[in-house]
Amino acid sequence: MQITTNHLKRCDLITLSGRFDSSNAHELQAALRASMDEGVYRIVLDMKDVTFFGSAAIRALVQAYKECRRWNRGDVRLAAIPERITEVLDLAGILPLVQVYDDAVLGVGSF
Amino acid sequence: MTSTQHEICVTSELANLANIGSFVSERARLSGMSEKQVFHVQMAVDEACTNAMVHAYQGDPEGEVRVCCYLEGNDFVVEVVDQGQVFDASSVPEPDLGRPLEERDIGGLGLFFMRKLMDSVVFVAPHEGGNQVIMRKRIGGRLS
Repeated sequence: MQITTNHLKRCDLITLSGRFDSSNAHELQAALRASMDEGVYRIVLDMKDVTFFGSAAIRALVQAYKECRRWNRGDVRLAAIPERITEVLDLAGILPLVQVYDDAVLGVGSF
Repeated sequence: MTSTQHEICVTSELANLANIGSFVSERARLSGMSEKQVFHVQMAVDEACTNAMVHAYQGDPEGEVRVCCYLEGNDFVVEVVDQGQVFDASSVPEPDLGRPLEERDIGGLGLFFMRKLMDSVVFVAPHEGGNQVIMRKRIGGRLS
């Protein structure tokens, strides 16, 4: 599992790779928290290399989504979601509500 | 007819979720499931094991979680057993998917995934204490 944050002009681009389950979802939460603590509420999550995304990771995502969108100050957008993960996010009722892009460049450009 | 049982027994450390995931995925794949179904099984078992580790054992990494897989007819069956505190699944409300994300309560997703991704989920309270959850998925069935 790897999390890399790139601080770009428009937003923070957080690139995720590997497996995200209850053992490490707190690290995802911490990465999102770090951006918000720096005052960055526009975040793109590049999920191209994510192999597993369990409910704990989804909770971390939703928490950050809620906080970033508060007072219209920002948003969390998703990029390059693998098909299996797309299905899971759809099942959780998240997909219709979150902005999704085919790749990170488009995601970043959306801000 | 029940086939040979395959079992993995690990401590209740969350780090063992990946091992369990690999084990269950491999067994599901060998049973003839599509990759989509294999992923569903992996997801449901991950949630069931997380519940055992986090709720039944309250985060204590010294407990034991046993995961057993077998075939019963056309069903791939997975049992997750722990000896922790009894967990009442009926007390956990389903997430309300109709509400906007900002208003939604975040809990209940794990059980929700188990029920949606498997064809049946049964909770048993064994005599000796702990929890047993038995999940079934029809090979080549719905959501394949």
